[in-house]
Amino acid sequence: MKPRTTIASLVAVASITMVLSGCGTAGVSNNAEETDGAVTQVEGAPSWCGTKEISFALLDGFGGNSWRLVTTASGKEEAEKCPSVTKFTYADGQGSTSKASSDIKSMVSSGVDAMVVFPDAGKAVLPALTAAYKAGVVTVPYRVDPGGEAGVNYDKWIGDDFANDGTNWGNWIKTNIPAGGNVLFLGGPAGNSQSTDEYDAMVKVLGDDYTFIGETPFQPTNWDPTLTQTLLTADIAKYDKIDVIVSDFGPTLVSSLPLFEKSGRSIPAVVASDGNSLSCFWEDNKDANPDFELMTVATGNDNVRLAVQYAIAKATGGTLPTEDTFKGPIFEDSVSGEPNGVQCDKDLPGDVYLSAEMDGEVQAELGK
Amino acid sequence: MTDATKREVNTLKSARFIPSKGLITVGSATVLLLVISAVLAPSSVSPTSLSGMLPIAAVLAVLGLGQMLVVQQGGIDLSVPGAMSLAIVIVTHQPDGDDSKLVPAIMLAVVFALIAGVANGLMIGGLRLNPIIATLGTNALLYGADLAISGGRPRITTDLLRSVTGGQTFGIPNAVFFALGALLLVTVLVKKTVAGRRFEAIGSSPDAARAIGLRVRLHQTSAYVWAQLLYCLAGVMIAGITAQPSAFEGDKFLLPSVAVVVLGGTSLLGGRGFPLATVIAAIFLQQLTQFVITLGVTTAVQTLVQAAALAVGVSLYTVDWRGIIAKFGDRSRTPQPTGAA
Repeated sequence: MKPRTTIASLVAVASITMVLSGCGTAGVSNNAEETDGAVTQVEGAPSWCGTKEISFALLDGFGGNSWRLVTTASGKEEAEKCPSVTKFTYADGQGSTSKASSDIKSMVSSGVDAMVVFPDAGKAVLPALTAAYKAGVVTVPYRVDPGGEAGVNYDKWIGDDFANDGTNWGNWIKTNIPAGGNVLFLGGPAGNSQSTDEYDAMVKVLGDDYTFIGETPFQPTNWDPTLTQTLLTADIAKYDKIDVIVSDFGPTLVSSLPLFEKSGRSIPAVVASDGNSLSCFWEDNKDANPDFELMTVATGNDNVRLAVQYAIAKATGGTLPTEDTFKGPIFEDSVSGEPNGVQCDKDLPGDVYLSAEMDGEVQAELGK
Repeated sequence: MTDATKREVNTLKSARFIPSKGLITVGSATVLLLVISAVLAPSSVSPTSLSGMLPIAAVLAVLGLGQMLVVQQGGIDLSVPGAMSLAIVIVTHQPDGDDSKLVPAIMLAVVFALIAGVANGLMIGGLRLNPIIATLGTNALLYGADLAISGGRPRITTDLLRSVTGGQTFGIPNAVFFALGALLLVTVLVKKTVAGRRFEAIGSSPDAARAIGLRVRLHQTSAYVWAQLLYCLAGVMIAGITAQPSAFEGDKFLLPSVAVVVLGGTSLLGGRGFPLATVIAAIFLQQLTQFVITLGVTTAVQTLVQAAALAVGVSLYTVDWRGIIAKFGDRSRTPQPTGAA
């Protein structure tokens, strides 16, 4: 086993090195030309696309679900709008902080000029981000806050304004359940900044008439369907009165919601992030569940587009986008129908996100 | 000589369904837990709660049975996450919502399980590789296949799969029937067939078994193959139970799969296996999770309680409590001589 493993790992290392050095040459030579912030745009391309040719990388901390697949494809689609991007590379940390960090480092040594990183592990990947930034690579983390400072540890963090989502949810709850009530909030991993921001914003809007039941600030589901089911089962059994369920990954609720009916209760109102499976679940179950209303905010696949624009603009010498946070708009509202009623498309798989800029049909073809 | 006779008597007794120490321990612990649940957090034993808890316990039970077979041969299987995730990906990605493609997809998953099982078995039973290293390697390969097939994206469960493994019959979650089927299969194979009796004998002492001419390698290999088939079943089950699984769904089941085997009383050194106790341990572990969640304690405390339960469970089997008590008893009974010395 030992000699074989050694040979296998040598081969792997050698092949990786070859691949990396192959794409490295172009990148390194590009680094030599400095544009000094002078804006030069490619004709016919968006204003954020400058003329300097670059090699570009998109890195994920965890790529194992459909949301990430759509997001990655959206990032690629956005990068392709700029002809100055001569090479696009993608790496998936597969949920391992050490892999995510080493991915960042190998991208640097392969000579990419700009990278957009989903720092799932938060501060844990900050050292790798800082090293990349110090090595002269345009480094743009997005969505999850990696800590650190722009201009010191990375170029710019393009966050999602999660408080905006929380405010939208809070306002909807206040309008549609005006008398106050019990709110159950299912969030991501314990302590994550996204769910915490959402909670704080909701509390601010809702005030004292509403009680957050279960663990506060949120029940930590890790955005994992099995754990969500375990938690929601316990909650349904424990609380006789749940007026509204809030989830920042709506589609994970679908497998657990039928438990309400099984225990002879109506599914309550759900405010969440969107997903075709959730919308179609609403469509199929709304008649049997009088209290089941649905409001969603856009799940934010397009956050990556803004980050890509920023990174490419900075590296190619294009115009920097004026926005520096992504604000997910309200997507569906079964009560008011504004801006849309519930958008279920049964011809598409359940795991497409109709709120995304990328067309549902295109999303359905991804990963095939 | 006396010992040998004693062991023989034990074996004969076990054939007449005298409950094992593991079964008594984990069985009474489960009953105790259910009583405590009913008193402190009554909703955690309500029908709603049970109908959500049992399917996941059933998945864990099936995984535990697979792991138990491997542990019986003195091995350990760390390829559980990869095996399970691959099965999930195949049965959701290949049909892509189309019920008619579900059966071929399940067959494909079974083929992959057989390949992985034979690979593990040949490496460990045949080439005598360390099971930890070999199964970790297999796990990585399985994840490679997982990503190659899905691009990291399992699809949504088909309606048929959801109704078969996620549905209910007579108010009982279907997953429970699958787990009972697996339990019956493993029990009959191991306890009631000649091959199964040889399998256990080899687990207790491979050298002795080899000396009397049993095919040790074949039986050790078969443990890994059967284990993979059971992981595959567990993967198919969880794919139906959760509507939108992730490509790494198996990750969190590795530790519990070993835990239920140990809680069920099967020794990590190999030997006799206790299928029924393993299944009950799965119920115990999942109900414990459900109970602490319902209690409303923080996630940190939940994790601590589960870890403590495991530690207590394991110590019941591995620590020689009688010896320790006897030691302390001796000391308290005979303090004089110690003091005099």
